[in-house]
Amino acid sequence: MNKSLFALVLAFGIGSIASVHAQQAPALNDAQIAHIAYTAGVIDVTAAKQALHKSHNKDVRAFAEEMARDHAAVNDQALALVKKLGVTPQDNPTSQSLSSAAAAEQTKLAALSGSAYDKAYVANEVAYHKTVNGALSGTLIPSAQNAQLKSLLETGLKLFQSHQMHAEHLAQSLK
Amino acid sequence: MLRLMILLVGLLAATAGFAPASATSTMQAQRVHVIVIDKMAYGPMPTDVRVGDIIEWVNHDILEHSATARDGRFDVDLKPGASGRITAVAGTLAFFCKFHPTMTASMVVR
Repeated sequence: MNKSLFALVLAFGIGSIASVHAQQAPALNDAQIAHIAYTAGVIDVTAAKQALHKSHNKDVRAFAEEMARDHAAVNDQALALVKKLGVTPQDNPTSQSLSSAAAAEQTKLAALSGSAYDKAYVANEVAYHKTVNGALSGTLIPSAQNAQLKSLLETGLKLFQSHQMHAEHLAQSLK
Repeated sequence: MLRLMILLVGLLAATAGFAPASATSTMQAQRVHVIVIDKMAYGPMPTDVRVGDIIEWVNHDILEHSATARDGRFDVDLKPGASGRITAVAGTLAFFCKFHPTMTASMVVR
């Protein structure tokens, strides 16, 4: 996903919901938060699978494997938690915007190859994790009502911050 | 009878004399230092680690991690909830998670 496009999605999705949140809390319920977090994970797993299909760079492939493994593991935990809590993740405009923007980015990346693809994929991963981390710390975690969901999101934030750091190092090495 | 009592007393004395020494050496040899992994980080590093001590990693995180030596001396895989051990050898022991390269740590073994 293009950095500006993704930022736009969050600005009009999570951002606008956050501003509503200031007026009539809570704007996002736990079922919606779980859906957004799960969707964000699925998007990155899909991007990683595309990278594993397209990239021949050892470091890029190792990074993609890390993304696929970690986001799948967190989403497994999220599914187990919502099942335990008896919550059904609820689709919402933010999740929908995230998914459609990610699909557009995947189409764009599909047209690239070689080092151009590697650089674009990793640059997008930096931007994606940066924006998701901002949404997690600024909106999703503060809005979560259930303590276990909040804790899982906090774990996710630590994980995604580590991913962002890894992506930034990788982006530097690809220059 | 007297000979038997002397033998028993001698045996008890010998056992009593050896037991503490044996227990002390066992304790020294099996001192365990636990490093807890949680939320994408290694917990505080143990201090005063001696050669022959046990270093144990316990993974409380929801993700698989590893304790992998920079110099290749060990590579401990740690699935969620699992633990793994090595015996400490002298020197600086630097390790990282091979699944998450941003997770790094080191300790000194004397």
